[in-house]
Amino acid sequence: MTQTTEPVVSADQTEKLSTAPEPVVGMPGRGPLRIALRMWRQLTSMRTALLLLALLALAAIPGTVIPQRGLDPVKVDNFLARHPHLGPLMDHLSLFDVFAAPWFAAIYLLLFISLVGCLVPRIRLHAAALRRRPPNAPRHLLRMPASTQWRADAPPEEVAGRTRELLRRAHWRADVRPESGGSLTVAAEKGYLRETGNLVFHIALVVLLVGIALSGLYGYKGTVLVTQGGGFANAREAYDVFAPSRLFSDSQLSPFSFTMQRFNASYDSSNGEPLNFNAYLRYKTSPTAAAKPYDIRVNHPLDVDGAKVFLVGHGYSLLIKVTNKAGQTVYDQATPFLPDDSNFSSHGVVKVPVLGNGQLGLTGFFYPTAGASPFGGITSIFPAAQRPVLSLAAWSGNLGLDSGVPQSVYSLPVANLKNIGVTQLSPGHSWHLKDGATVTFLGVQQWATFQVAHEPGKRTVLVGAVLIIAGLLGSLRVRRRRFWLRAVPAAADDPDRRTVVTAAGLARSDAEGFADELEELASQLGRRTAAQRQSRPASGAEGI
Amino acid sequence: MSPDLHLAHISDVLLTWAVFAYAFAMFGYAAEFAAGRRVAARGGGTAVVERGSRRTDNVGRAAVVLSVAGWCFHLSSVLTRGFAVHRVPWGNMYEFSCMVTLVAVSIFLLLLGQQPIRRVAAIATRRPARHHMGWKARESVRYLGAFVMAPVVLYLGLAGTVLYAAPGPLVPALNSYWIKIHVVAAITATGAFMVSGVVTILYLLKERYERGQVPLRLTLTTRLRSPMRPQRVSLGPGTAAAVEMTSARGGLMRALPAAANLDRLAYRIITFAFPIWTFAIIAGAIWAEQAWSRYWGWDPKETWSFITWLGYAAYLHARATAGWRGRRAATLSLIAFGCLMVDYYVVNTVITGLHSYAGVS
Ligand code: HEM
Repeated sequence: MTQTTEPVVSADQTEKLSTAPEPVVGMPGRGPLRIALRMWRQLTSMRTALLLLALLALAAIPGTVIPQRGLDPVKVDNFLARHPHLGPLMDHLSLFDVFAAPWFAAIYLLLFISLVGCLVPRIRLHAAALRRRPPNAPRHLLRMPASTQWRADAPPEEVAGRTRELLRRAHWRADVRPESGGSLTVAAEKGYLRETGNLVFHIALVVLLVGIALSGLYGYKGTVLVTQGGGFANAREAYDVFAPSRLFSDSQLSPFSFTMQRFNASYDSSNGEPLNFNAYLRYKTSPTAAAKPYDIRVNHPLDVDGAKVFLVGHGYSLLIKVTNKAGQTVYDQATPFLPDDSNFSSHGVVKVPVLGNGQLGLTGFFYPTAGASPFGGITSIFPAAQRPVLSLAAWSGNLGLDSGVPQSVYSLPVANLKNIGVTQLSPGHSWHLKDGATVTFLGVQQWATFQVAHEPGKRTVLVGAVLIIAGLLGSLRVRRRRFWLRAVPAAADDPDRRTVVTAAGLARSDAEGFADELEELASQLGRRTAAQRQSRPASGAEGI
Repeated sequence: MSPDLHLAHISDVLLTWAVFAYAFAMFGYAAEFAAGRRVAARGGGTAVVERGSRRTDNVGRAAVVLSVAGWCFHLSSVLTRGFAVHRVPWGNMYEFSCMVTLVAVSIFLLLLGQQPIRRVAAIATRRPARHHMGWKARESVRYLGAFVMAPVVLYLGLAGTVLYAAPGPLVPALNSYWIKIHVVAAITATGAFMVSGVVTILYLLKERYERGQVPLRLTLTTRLRSPMRPQRVSLGPGTAAAVEMTSARGGLMRALPAAANLDRLAYRIITFAFPIWTFAIIAGAIWAEQAWSRYWGWDPKETWSFITWLGYAAYLHARATAGWRGRRAATLSLIAFGCLMVDYYVVNTVITGLHSYAGVS
């Protein structure tokens, strides 16, 4: 559009080597179109990009100061309870979900629209620049920020030819051009990779966003609790919690399955700090595939068919058996208890639907290593199951198991129930209730919770991230620079008949190290002309 | 394995030595700078700190020797700590601070060593004698010494007292080879940003001084004939800070390189650090994906790293935008550095998140 068809641009002292697009002056069109165009230009300007970057940074701050649902829902509920007036208002403004808030999305979407709008013309300009030859040498080379002059014995053609050869070998784009009066100039440019890198970087940001969007639209995430010896098959119903994305369909669930053979947790014996958790699995990629072993631990998830299985938590399941008056077994299950503290004091419930004339409920507290609590009573003093004690309370009445209302398996509302006794059991011991039922605490097993996550855009995100780094290195570490050399034939009154050579260079934004490079170049050129001199023994002194 | 307490103690002692060496080096640099400033004031205020007398030059050299000695103690302290705890020595805030300052001093020493290194390299490769050219040689960055050592000593002081963590093992979540990749990148970038922050502050002061130079020079000549006490002269907006730093003997500001050079140096360090910071964030995301099953969760630490990143990206854009170059861009980079400090101090100690590995109670 704005560029001319002329292959060579003139580089006068004023020209900067910026790769930023020129501000466009003069706007075509009129009326609404003109306004729309102006708004578009405004949006795709560097200034807007700057503003939006700052705005995005600013908008992220509340998300780190105000409790966030995604990170700590309990904290949000507490906050809401404490601020009955302010809370709902803040909720309305999505301040508890900042990173999913419409206004947050608006900022980054604007930023990306701006980015794309500014990338397209820049890609075109750069493509043209890649084809263009280096600009002509300015008239007054010695006025350039970096310049030097020396005399050479070789005629201008040789000096220019050798210079071009040297430059091209060092990957400069170099041309030799004749000037009036028999002098020759070499025009050279290097560092196109800078703008290429810059474009790659900005494009990579878009790639990254596309990857994130893919995961957000097609992925799924779920958690499941598995007790030692138990298994899991990847189906929606098998999860305890399942969070599909907007465009998810069940066919995306890959048909893997696993069983947890064993779970092992080890702790520092002095302070109970966790050292290691390992879940030993055997998994199959499909129902017909052969089972393979895998050991999932922190920082070591299982990767099956694009889904990743992470170990996210663990605790104790208690083997509890209940028999009725007639000696029939009415309950015999590994019952997961939920941990309440870092020493795995846990709580859980057992609900027995039929026990002769009513329903039986048990609420329990479990202490893997029972010890005296500083507050009286008992508590767990170590996370491993070294001295397990199960403390139980039994309740009779209508548990509401057949009321149709969904119930938590970890709690039992006891308000309408009758307490029929409390006790403490260690493994292998039984408790005989008054109505003839018997509760036996058979033993302790470990459970683990796994999170299964499938993020189809993850690869794309990774590619984007790698390109971001590569692009940045090009954009920030490569310098765009120009070099000119003019070889003027010896003046008539020069008794030595030596060519006057002037060289100059110009570097963009970061001139650091450029002086050294020019010096190196010039000294190599000097050396070459010196070598030239040796092949002509008749000539005079060296020009360095 | 339990930590080797004897070795850990040696590490602590070495760190104390490093702090003392740095502190003395700081005074040396400051003395040389003050002397250089006098010369600069007499010599018409060129950008470079001119060599004062041989004596002050020797003070400067001694400061360099002290910095190198301090750096050796510092490095040994970090290494012995690593051996004492049988793991990488950057698992809590104390160790992290030691590493960041080690990087900052290393970068300063590298900048300082660039010229001598080049000279040696030139001799080694037997390059031909230098041309006499129009372009001028690199300036020495010795003037930076006092300004780099001051925050380093402060940081280390804080690390050794408030943030000190007894030697111990890593928490399981940190126990991964990613701690080598992600944290080293974060540390390197942080150290570099720290140096660039120092240079940027100097730039802002010098820039202010250059803008207000005309009135300031007036006071410099009529300057209140020699009392050693600092003088406060009010000259209207813009020059107040510069004047405040003006002592009786000459413009501190005049001894600093030209604002444009400081700006370029700050930019150069940021272009070094920014890709590394970017890499640190990406490596962190990959690690988080393995440890916590998601690569990005807007955890406060992640968010502040991202804010810092945006801040420096804004600085880079500002530098390329007419009307935002110079002072405003520099301010942005300082704000970005402030975000980095929030990320480091506030997030680790005040805001709780998954990254609560500070080891500070
Ligand atoms: C997603 C947000 C963005 C980030 C993180 C970002 C980051 C960067 C970085 C790190 C640079 C390198 C600076 C340098 O070469 O000195 C840069 C350069 C540049 N950016 Fe962006 N950018 C973003 C969005 C944009 C947008 C929306 C635009 C267009 C309006 C834009 C236009 C430019 C231009 C023109 C340059 C080159 C400046 C020059 O070479 O002089 N950027 N950007």
